[in-house]
Amino acid sequence: MDPILVVDRVSKSFGSLRAVDDVSLSVEEGEIFGIAGPNGSGKSTLFNIITSIPFPADSGRVVFEGREIQRMRPNRVCRFGLARTFQKETSFDTLSTLDNVILGSTYGRGTDDSAESRKQAGETLEFVGIGTDQFERPAAELSVFDKKRLMIASAIVTEPRVLLLDEPASGLTKPEIDETIDLIRRLNQSGVTLLVIEHVLPLLLTVSARLLVLNHGSELVTGTPDDVIRDPHVVEAYLGSRARHD
Amino acid sequence: MRDLLTGPNLARLICLLILILLPLVVPSPYIRHLLIITFIYAMVASNWDLSLGYAGVFNFGHIAFFAAGCYGSAILSKTIGITPWLTIPLAGIIGVIAALIVCLPVLRLKGIYVVLVTFAFSQLCFQLVLSQEEITGGSMGMPLLPPLKIGDYNFARDGKFGYYYVGLFLLVLSTIYLHRLVRSRFGTSIVALRDNEDYAISRGISLARQRMLTLGLSAFFTGVAGGFYSTYVRVASPEIFGFGFLSLALSMLLLGGLNSIYGPILGAFVITLLSEAMVDLGPMRFLIISALIILMLLFYPGGLNNALQQAYKWSSRSGAAARLFRTNARN
Repeated sequence: MDPILVVDRVSKSFGSLRAVDDVSLSVEEGEIFGIAGPNGSGKSTLFNIITSIPFPADSGRVVFEGREIQRMRPNRVCRFGLARTFQKETSFDTLSTLDNVILGSTYGRGTDDSAESRKQAGETLEFVGIGTDQFERPAAELSVFDKKRLMIASAIVTEPRVLLLDEPASGLTKPEIDETIDLIRRLNQSGVTLLVIEHVLPLLLTVSARLLVLNHGSELVTGTPDDVIRDPHVVEAYLGSRARHD
Repeated sequence: MRDLLTGPNLARLICLLILILLPLVVPSPYIRHLLIITFIYAMVASNWDLSLGYAGVFNFGHIAFFAAGCYGSAILSKTIGITPWLTIPLAGIIGVIAALIVCLPVLRLKGIYVVLVTFAFSQLCFQLVLSQEEITGGSMGMPLLPPLKIGDYNFARDGKFGYYYVGLFLLVLSTIYLHRLVRSRFGTSIVALRDNEDYAISRGISLARQRMLTLGLSAFFTGVAGGFYSTYVRVASPEIFGFGFLSLALSMLLLGGLNSIYGPILGAFVITLLSEAMVDLGPMRFLIISALIILMLLFYPGGLNNALQQAYKWSSRSGAAARLFRTNARN
């Protein structure tokens, strides 16, 4: 079977800095694919250029379900079945929690009926674990964990076939991370293919079937979690070269 | 239905009722004139709130939409000879066309650049009006425009009685229109774009499309207000492009409170009445109003509308507390 998402030799530069340099990856349908790397290694930029939000790649191709999407208008990408979250807790602060998700349903999924949108939004919020008592609160008032889950809810209400999660666990406590892992697994079981960026390795090692490790914008290694943690280049990138010799 | 008659809605209906009955009680044509001008300002300011407040688009060309309505209606009624009853609604469409033109260069611009382009557009319209003397009357403007009439009855007669009710009717229509608009999914989507543009786009909302709709929809009743204004004062004059008009409308918006529709309407009433009450002070009154706005922004950025809402919440809460207290006392 063809991979559901192929990223083919994409690059993105900011001035003289090559933030993403000739990176390729391919994700199979139903897979959880991890993307790791130290700070500033280009992980988020890679997500940005896959979804064209806020900017597309300078060069290279992004093929989703057999169609090239690198030149698609960014707001269309989501309708097409590819949704993302952001690294920072992002929400429509002045809108209610429920409205945050309703927007995803009406604009991202194309649900015309407002009662139906409401229903979809409510169900999705419950799926990610946000209680009905939070629905009418302005999103700005939510806790970090709830904001992160809200962002995931507004993405999955659009019914993506591929979901890109950018650091879903950063800033969370241990029990919250466990709940996030559980959420990622439930999503995956419901048929969603996931790409997960994480700075901290343990979460990725637990959930992902395969991992891509980036360093300075280019691919360091791709492989199963076991392969990756044994790779001397990865150890060096994360801990510095002296760790390798010791 | 019960919702319609509680809290803020009830207060709004009472205000409307007062405005409907006022001309029957207060005979002064001057007060009526002031209120007609207030209705026009209220329409301009509250529609501006849609782009500046809800959508967070720094559109400083809003007055140009008003001017387009003014001149559009004037040209249609005086030069072409269409009845003002038609040119006033047509002025709305002319306002929308002006908005769509300014839209093209600002569809994807951000922040300060939107201010620059829209302000420049406004100046461009001003120069256009000045230079096309045969059509617009240049710096002299277009005087003696045809008034609103039914049969032989001129609406300016009987102390502008007719104009008062037409103005009030237009303000009510515009407010219902805005009220429904900001509560629709379109309204939610432009707030989302204001709150976080990239996030909104990532959930399928088109920045360019919603921005075009925002400016276009905010221009309709602004243009209508312009058409009504020039028909009422019977002149379309380039003075409306002046800084005075722009800053007055902006003051109403800021004093009343952004993102509220009713705030700018309240602001229009407060500022018109305040500046009238202080008319003996001469130019000093503008200084006082400016100082008031600065104080408001410093200590109450939500504006008058927000202050009223909090006062209402506070009073209903203390009302609930009082009831609770009474029940406890009885037990």
